[in-house]
Amino acid sequence: MTQVLFKNRRPGETVFLDGYRKTGGYEGLQKAVKAMSPDEVREAVKESGLRGRGGAGFPTGVKWTFFPADQFGEKYLVCNADEKEPGTYKDRELLLADPHQLVEGMIVSAYALRIPVGYIFIRYGYERCSQNLERAIAEACEAGFLGDNILGSEFSFELHVHRSAGRYICGEETALLNALEGLRANPRSKPPFPAVRGLFGMPTTVNNVETLANVQHIIVNGPEWFRGLAATETGAGTKLYGLSGHLERTPCLELPIGTTLREIVEEHGGGVWKGRTFKACLPGGASTPYLAAKHLDTPLDFEPIEKAGSRLGTGGVTVFDDTTCMVAATLNLNTFFARESCGWCTPCRDGLPFVSWLLEKIERGEGTMEDIEILRGQIRNIHGRSFCALATGAMEPVASLLDLFMDEVVDHIKRGRCPLKR
Amino acid sequence: MAEVLLTEDQLDHFRVRAAEIAHPRELVIDVLRAIQSNFGWVPDEGVELTGEILRLSPLQVEEVATFYDKIFRQPVGKRVIHVCDSVCCWSRGAEEIYAHLQKTLGISPGGTTSDGVFTLLPTCCLGACGEAPAVMIGLTTYGDLTPERLDEILERERAALEE
Amino acid sequence: MPTITIDNQRVTVPEGTNVLEAAKKLGIVIPHFCYHEALGAVGACRLCAMTFLEGSDKGPKLKGVHMSCMVTARDGMVVSTLDEESADLRRHVIEWLMMNHPHDCPVCDEGGECQLQDMTVAGGHGIRRYRGLKKTYVNQDLGPFISHEMNRCIQCYRCVRTYQDYCGGTDFGVLGCNQRIYFGRFRDGTLQSPFSGNIVDACPTGVFTDRTYRFRARPWDLEEAPSVCPHCSLGCAVIPGARYRELQRVRAGVNAKTNGFFICDQGRFGYGHANRPDRPRSPRLGEREVSWPEALGALRRELEIIIAEHGSQAVAFLGSSRASLESNAQLLELARFFGSENFALEIDPERDRAARTTAALLGECARSQEEVRRSDFVLLVGADPLNEGPMMALAVRQAVRAGGSAALIDPRPVELPFAATHLPLSPQNLPEVLKALAEERFERFSARERTVLAGISARIKEAKRPVLIGGGNLLGSSGAQLLIEAARAFSRGDRACGAALLLAGPNSFGSALLAAQSPGPDRLLAQMQEGRIRALLCLESDPFADHPEPGRARMALSRLKLLAALDYLPTETARRCDIFLPTTAPAESAGTYVNFEGRMLPFGSVFDPGVPIQITGGGDHPPRSFEAHTPGSLPRPAWAALAALRGDSLSLAHIRRNLQRSDARFAGLAELEEGGEGRRVNGAGQMPGHGPELPKHPSAEGALRLVVTECLFGSETIASFSPVLDPVRPAPVVRLHVEDGVRLGIHDGEKVRLRTELGDLAVEVRLCEAMAPGIVVLPRLRQGEWEIFVPGVHRDCILQKEGG
Ligand SMILES: Cc1cc2nc3c(=O)[nH]c(=O)nc-3n(C[C@H](O)[C@H](O)[C@H](O)COP(=O)(O)O)c2cc1C
Ligand code: SF4
Ligand code: FES
Repeated sequence: MTQVLFKNRRPGETVFLDGYRKTGGYEGLQKAVKAMSPDEVREAVKESGLRGRGGAGFPTGVKWTFFPADQFGEKYLVCNADEKEPGTYKDRELLLADPHQLVEGMIVSAYALRIPVGYIFIRYGYERCSQNLERAIAEACEAGFLGDNILGSEFSFELHVHRSAGRYICGEETALLNALEGLRANPRSKPPFPAVRGLFGMPTTVNNVETLANVQHIIVNGPEWFRGLAATETGAGTKLYGLSGHLERTPCLELPIGTTLREIVEEHGGGVWKGRTFKACLPGGASTPYLAAKHLDTPLDFEPIEKAGSRLGTGGVTVFDDTTCMVAATLNLNTFFARESCGWCTPCRDGLPFVSWLLEKIERGEGTMEDIEILRGQIRNIHGRSFCALATGAMEPVASLLDLFMDEVVDHIKRGRCPLKR
Repeated sequence: MAEVLLTEDQLDHFRVRAAEIAHPRELVIDVLRAIQSNFGWVPDEGVELTGEILRLSPLQVEEVATFYDKIFRQPVGKRVIHVCDSVCCWSRGAEEIYAHLQKTLGISPGGTTSDGVFTLLPTCCLGACGEAPAVMIGLTTYGDLTPERLDEILERERAALEE
Repeated sequence: MPTITIDNQRVTVPEGTNVLEAAKKLGIVIPHFCYHEALGAVGACRLCAMTFLEGSDKGPKLKGVHMSCMVTARDGMVVSTLDEESADLRRHVIEWLMMNHPHDCPVCDEGGECQLQDMTVAGGHGIRRYRGLKKTYVNQDLGPFISHEMNRCIQCYRCVRTYQDYCGGTDFGVLGCNQRIYFGRFRDGTLQSPFSGNIVDACPTGVFTDRTYRFRARPWDLEEAPSVCPHCSLGCAVIPGARYRELQRVRAGVNAKTNGFFICDQGRFGYGHANRPDRPRSPRLGEREVSWPEALGALRRELEIIIAEHGSQAVAFLGSSRASLESNAQLLELARFFGSENFALEIDPERDRAARTTAALLGECARSQEEVRRSDFVLLVGADPLNEGPMMALAVRQAVRAGGSAALIDPRPVELPFAATHLPLSPQNLPEVLKALAEERFERFSARERTVLAGISARIKEAKRPVLIGGGNLLGSSGAQLLIEAARAFSRGDRACGAALLLAGPNSFGSALLAAQSPGPDRLLAQMQEGRIRALLCLESDPFADHPEPGRARMALSRLKLLAALDYLPTETARRCDIFLPTTAPAESAGTYVNFEGRMLPFGSVFDPGVPIQITGGGDHPPRSFEAHTPGSLPRPAWAALAALRGDSLSLAHIRRNLQRSDARFAGLAELEEGGEGRRVNGAGQMPGHGPELPKHPSAEGALRLVVTECLFGSETIASFSPVLDPVRPAPVVRLHVEDGVRLGIHDGEKVRLRTELGDLAVEVRLCEAMAPGIVVLPRLRQGEWEIFVPGVHRDCILQKEGG
């Protein structure tokens, strides 16, 4: 299987400059700076069909067309390495294994967008990743890949690591900008979009670690190659899938985007653990709707997964076996979102606790049929009604609980207890 | 753990940085984290000192400090044990791990052991979903936990502190 | 101008109007919390949802449920507020907001004016479904003005947006995260912003309530009327509330042209003057309390005797900038009635000339607070808005927040709630700098000063809506003239440069308009000294306290045969006069002030004067003590008392009609509505004569120029009689430039002796960097020996180390 981002990954090891260069590291940068105009780099990324790996899946090349790339001056490239959505740990694996992947990707992206300053916003707790990045940045500076007049060109770029102090909302791109500025990390209203008014009021693009790390490979090998990596017609590239939950093995792997859920569960995850059966999974992190056993043959790529009623999200696949109480699982998820709400808008700040209260009541066996109606009202009025995508995302598993596992919910109410409680 | 908020070197460093950058406020988390790593937590004086360095009012610093769950505005033990209670760890026995910790340490969530060594706090996903259940002690993440492995880790953390 | 359809009704609104406002125009009020006209839309509460049926012809198609505060009205939009989808959301939002609310309405001070109550009903939420635990909070002590009850909070963020964003305060904000959000301070303690009271108005529920008014009345029991703040020359709209013959609170009124929605804490908490137990409420002959007829008769007789003996010019009349336009006009009527030409409408000669110059020259250059808020460059010269007209500081702040900029040329260390370049020039250089700016000739200034001035002049030229703001106290009349001339010089065909001058009192401009024929207060004083003026009638004026040369004033006053006064404050003049007539406080009668820009602002009568039940009955009803007269019948509006002295009884409407008939400048006065936007006067005043020039440079070796400056909560007459403000009175310290401190060997915080022509004072010194050298800045305080220093630039003084 083609390994692009993980090709240097060895258990328990980190590859730094020498190792990175041995397998072609910084050739993308050389090619971009020496042989391509920023325009051409952007065009290649657009052609490649690369879509954002941070959760929303927006085509990166298209996003960059909104950015005033040809305007010189104060602009920022921000890498979103906050990664706090339960079930998501791919960026960590990449930064633990091969931090230069991101550094080079950022330099090439900055070149394409004529950006002089970059920040990597990294979550609290990824201390080793931060240290790896700091070392990689120092090495890149030393080698002339970062800093003034990179590789003798006119292009200069400086890169900083910002360590955060917790809070999932910091991963939302506009909240992240506020956090970087030292303000409370409430999201900002859009428009104006960060491309117009971002960090310190200047044009900014925010991209995910995995997204940025793909850029230099597209430059070296071309957009066609990148499209060809996918397992699906519509897809492009590989994807880092982080497995978790009730599987025999829970590795993080690089696979062609569009690998089926079945292959991931049965081959790479070694099947559902303890010989049990597959009940459900979150296919792309905590804010994606559940998929059930009937969806096992869905290719995990943006379009097919949407057809199945869920989202690719971040590609963190969390599997639940047949002994799992889905009400309890959903309660756990919802409580996470309630706790991580930034407190700005009402549906999220007060609506999510309301939902937790309802789910807990049902889980305890004290729910009524009327509570299901109340719950539907909550979902209807939180989903799509919150200020940012956090609370809307929180409703996705709750809504799919009612869609896919209604019997189980009703069973709680009818029996007056959790039918799956051991 | 040092009893100073910031060392002379750190003070100089932050003062110089604050003077040379256009938006000194962007350093607020850096300063608070430095204080926390020296002092264990951020006392009121730490908030005031941060404000003084960055030319912010204490309230302006407090607004940011209290937003984050990993800035401690109350005393904590020498090592904070962050127990992941998000869904992947939950699905693989986080509740048992949490219960075990409470029992062996004799404290409930939010509490600190009487010897002042450990504080127990729940946390959301640590990014260790592939090695669930996991905890983070200080800034070190431990995965694939069982009660036995956890006991060993606590032993090691304690021993490291005594050195 | 887009036309949109809301609930099948069409409405055309100005470009940029949001859909929530557009609906309001149709009388459709959709519940909302976080949106506030002055604070803008932030889309946080998610309550103002409407259903968009048709997008617009142009721009992105918008369909489905959206927050109407966040959507700009565009041509062709079709919107429904009745649609079940958005109604459902609004109901849910209210339900969420009420999850943790304590439902303590019966004991909540907000009851009766609680928006949360209104919105809960309007939102259609009635029955509680959430049965979980409620959050509770510990409250903070926020100082004497504001009480804190966090349990009632619904997290609309309006308080922080008011306090920090609009007003620039930095000691109050939002703490915590998720459902555990707390609005408060770092520690317990008095809120530092001089605009703190606005969070009471901004809070839609009972989290922040007026502590000074707490538990004293339900809002529906209050007598209220639209009024105008009497504490400075800006003329902000206020709504005082009274009960039991007691002024109990003041809240901000709304006037788009003046204050917008907010007021300063002096305007809000300076109301206690009306309720003082020592307020003189009965007419008096000497020490003896008498009836109105007796007092009026005696006063008229005494005046007639003096006129008979010494001629008409022996009686003089002194009005004030604190008295209404109508009262001052009646004072002039009275002077005319007695045939006297000796009158003045302001006791301080320099303030008198500054106001008259402004009224004479400002004309088209005049800019309102609203126009300042919209300005893109503001230059302050010798103006300290936080202290001389606080809301003007906020007006400039809004200009700066909207992308404009500001600069300040002032000798004093001036604190401002916005960023501004400060050029500290000595006071005698202010006229010069204004001339230099107008002529763009900066040779006479130092290299550094030249750079700053060239920058300022470039910014004025680039700006589309520049405004120059001056302060009457420091600029005086020649400075006011130069400032207005500079504004004219900067005006071009394509755009004008505006000007504004902060004057002394609420009616300075109006008094100045009326004062055309006045010989000025100096002449009056001189004639009193010479014994040519024998009688003086003071209308809400305190010549003992407010003349810059108190010794001279006292001497002159002591030579009078008759001193009569009309007032509602226990001033020294009121105490020492031979005949006293009690007048109504501003909230007790209607009237008109003409504010700093020449805007006539009528105010209504809130309540009838009378001894508060708090005093007569210890707060109980009915009063426990009996008196010959009805407690309350005694004070009269000054204009009524003055008319009665002529034997006339006129209504206020009548006075206004006479005024506009006889003086075209006041056209429209009689038609103006209280609580409206008011209207600029139509025409100008007349230039006053020249006053004596101050010597250019200090005379004695080592001497410093003394600059007395107004300070918030400490200087203004009415507020100084309001005990509520006692806890926040400014400290008596003087400020000195660091260089002077070094030269004189004086350290920061040191106690030294200040020697002046007027007298000596033991003072504490603060050393400052951001001020001009060669001056001592002394606050105008109305306490004890400090009171002799009235605002303005004085002659020399000397600072001496104690024992040196
Ligand atoms: C609540 C919330 C949390 C998010 N957290 C992350 C995150 O941790 N990392 C990330 O890359 N994107 C995160 N996102 C998505 C970002 O807002 C943004 O879309 C992304 O960083 C863009 O990068 P991409 O286009 O490369 O995917 C989050 C979004 C929301 C609403
Ligand atoms: S949905 Fe609202 S409260 Fe929740 S995180 Fe986003 S802005 Fe904050
Ligand atoms: S008023 Fe529109 S969201 Fe609050």
